Amino acid sequence: MAVRKKQRLADYGLNSERLLMPGKGPGVFERELGDDLEDKLMLTTVAKAVNWAQGHSIWPDTFGLACCAIEMMSIVSSRYDIARFGAEVFRSSPRQADLLIVSGRVAHKMAAPLRQIYDQMLEPKWVIAMGACASSGGMFNNYAILQGVDKIVAVDIHVPGCPPRPEALVEGIVRLQEKIVAGVPPAYEIRGVAS
Amino acid sequence: MPGLVERVDAYGETTLVVDPARLAEACTHLRDEGRFNFLSDITAVDYLGWGGREVAGYYGTAAGRDLGSQSAQGFARTPAPKPARFAVNYHLLQIPGGEVVRVQVWVDDGQSVPSVIEIWPTADWHEREAYDMMGIPFDGHPNLRRILMEDDWEGHPLRKDYPIGGEPVRFSGAE
Amino acid sequence: MAVTERRTIYEGTRIPAPVPTSLHVPAGLADSEDILQVNFGPNHPSTHGVLRLVVDLSGERVVGLRAVIGYLHTGFEKNMEQKTWWKAITYPERIDYVSFQNNELVFVLAIEKLLGIEVPPKATWMRMLLCELNRIHSHLVFLATSALELGAISMFWYGMRERDQVLDLSELVTGMRMHTRYFQAGGLAEDVPRGFDAECRKFVEWMPKAIDEYEAMLTRNEIWLERTRGIGLLSADDAIALGQSGPVLRASGVDWDNRRDQPYLAYPNVDFRVPVYHGGDVYDRYRVRMDEMRESVRIIEQCLDAMPEGPWIADDRKVVLPPRHELHTSMESLIHHFKIVTEGYRVPEGEVYVTIESPRGELGCYVVSDGGPKPWRVKFRAPSFVALEATATCMTDSMIADMIAIVGSLDSVMGEVDR
Repeated sequence: MAVRKKQRLADYGLNSERLLMPGKGPGVFERELGDDLEDKLMLTTVAKAVNWAQGHSIWPDTFGLACCAIEMMSIVSSRYDIARFGAEVFRSSPRQADLLIVSGRVAHKMAAPLRQIYDQMLEPKWVIAMGACASSGGMFNNYAILQGVDKIVAVDIHVPGCPPRPEALVEGIVRLQEKIVAGVPPAYEIRGVAS
Repeated sequence: MPGLVERVDAYGETTLVVDPARLAEACTHLRDEGRFNFLSDITAVDYLGWGGREVAGYYGTAAGRDLGSQSAQGFARTPAPKPARFAVNYHLLQIPGGEVVRVQVWVDDGQSVPSVIEIWPTADWHEREAYDMMGIPFDGHPNLRRILMEDDWEGHPLRKDYPIGGEPVRFSGAE
Repeated sequence: MAVTERRTIYEGTRIPAPVPTSLHVPAGLADSEDILQVNFGPNHPSTHGVLRLVVDLSGERVVGLRAVIGYLHTGFEKNMEQKTWWKAITYPERIDYVSFQNNELVFVLAIEKLLGIEVPPKATWMRMLLCELNRIHSHLVFLATSALELGAISMFWYGMRERDQVLDLSELVTGMRMHTRYFQAGGLAEDVPRGFDAECRKFVEWMPKAIDEYEAMLTRNEIWLERTRGIGLLSADDAIALGQSGPVLRASGVDWDNRRDQPYLAYPNVDFRVPVYHGGDVYDRYRVRMDEMRESVRIIEQCLDAMPEGPWIADDRKVVLPPRHELHTSMESLIHHFKIVTEGYRVPEGEVYVTIESPRGELGCYVVSDGGPKPWRVKFRAPSFVALEATATCMTDSMIADMIAIVGSLDSVMGEVDR
């Protein structure tokens, strides 16, 4: 009996990529992962259980910088309630947090503290670049703003918007959950950078 | 009023141009006799290239866009030249009373302005910002250090000869 | 609402010298005791954004304080010099990102002052309504975050609940929850949609009851009173000398409000009270903001009742885009549209300084125009920048736990401080 080799992320249970665009080919992320998908993804039962647990209890770190921080605060509120997705509390100490949501524009002066906070987090850790400024510098292409936080930390999910609606950020966290549950390693492992 | 050079009234606002050497005297007079007890803001402006710089105009010539010509800039008329490179504006308010006035001093690059921190303590951070962003030194300020940029930053970002910085944006379709 | 009698908060001045904005450890203390220098921030749950405070502690008493800012410096003013006047309107909103409409308003008012353009009354009243909604939004964020920091965690969820209602209204009118880019030079970008009036009235009916709930939770709460009464004292003279404005100034007993004393928009036509308290402490600043929320609801109701019909933007085609249906038939409209979009409208040469009452205090915008399509210089007088200057004075003879309450009560938004 031929078992179809799991090739696409959808085979690993990642649904949201395919919902809107059914005929779409492999995305940038899949192409980046390349052919040796199986080597990179963990398939054992214990690993799956660990992933399920990790993915469904991601605790973010309070790293609100600017306007996106205000929208990030509202996902904690009762209307959008991130706690039902497992992000029960925002931990102030990076040593207790799994997820760094960089929400807001990162000035060059702030880049060093950002990297320091990221370094203080324990593996496995994930980063969401929330908003246009964290993803690419946003509307501020100038001397003061770091043009994209992925220059200094490895980013898993970029959430577009200025500021993104709380639902958009929740979608980003949900996609991150799906990634983790499917067994995709954190970004620093995929990109082979220091964590 | 001591040190007054000129008084300009425009757009419903009064501007008092003051000699920089007598600024402290003028401000003390305004605070005590004029009852302007509230310093709202200190703004430094760099007028380098005033009236002469290229601005996106949309007038074409046979040789391409002529950015050097005045009419290419879309100006209604050429702005009058300014007395010096930098203007430092002090916006004052009377509480109560409600009168508003702007005190303006003109300085050149490197020339310093006396600090008004003794008169209005709120000037502390405003003057530090003017120094950080424009490079105007304030005499008598007890803590004149950079405030917004890093301590070892070189250059003064809001000057007109300081580049905007940032990265060139690559458009994926335009090769 | 009873206003307490005028009383002296403290004798003389507490502004530190020689540097008014930082506390220096007294020479004797520095040698004798153990002084612990602790760094708060820039990433810290209890500072409103990326503020760094370097604090010297002698036990639990704060003996030295120095604020370091600039961790969110964005170069707004330099960026705005690169864009045309129209495109530059998207920048000020992000400066004080909690009261975004007020930033837009002050910049647009400055442009209109230079242009000398007449804004239709519907736009004026609608701007006033949206700015008052924004004031409620800002005070709710203050309440939610300050209470959260002091331990009254449930206030956060109550505040966020109403805040989402305010943002729903904003989305109904402008299309965006925050950073709406709705105010244009000459009026509003689009007409007010139908159904806004009904939704806003529902909010106006509900909000006073919500404020009653907040007051029931906090105003007579023993813990809240212990932590905020008598903390962070600032006298009226010191407040004026330090350039304070807004709720901080009014809590110190100075009766000054730009909406009433330097009127703009249609504020002379609405009836509202300016709350003034004389205690000069954190508790009074909280009371001022609660009362201001109530007054804002009253102003919004009056705006809804008095909302005029008519155009929502001025008719000056040199500045305002013509309506789209005209582009099909009129050549002049097409040319105007083209010039405004590509080159931008030209603003006459001059300099103006416009101040409004933002939820944090006196927000000022100084604009210099050289007659061209781009601003020459734009400077925002940020009330939070000045409020942080008062931190050292308020922190005289305080404990470390009070620092959180005081910095929260000054209600500074770091986007505004660093610009």
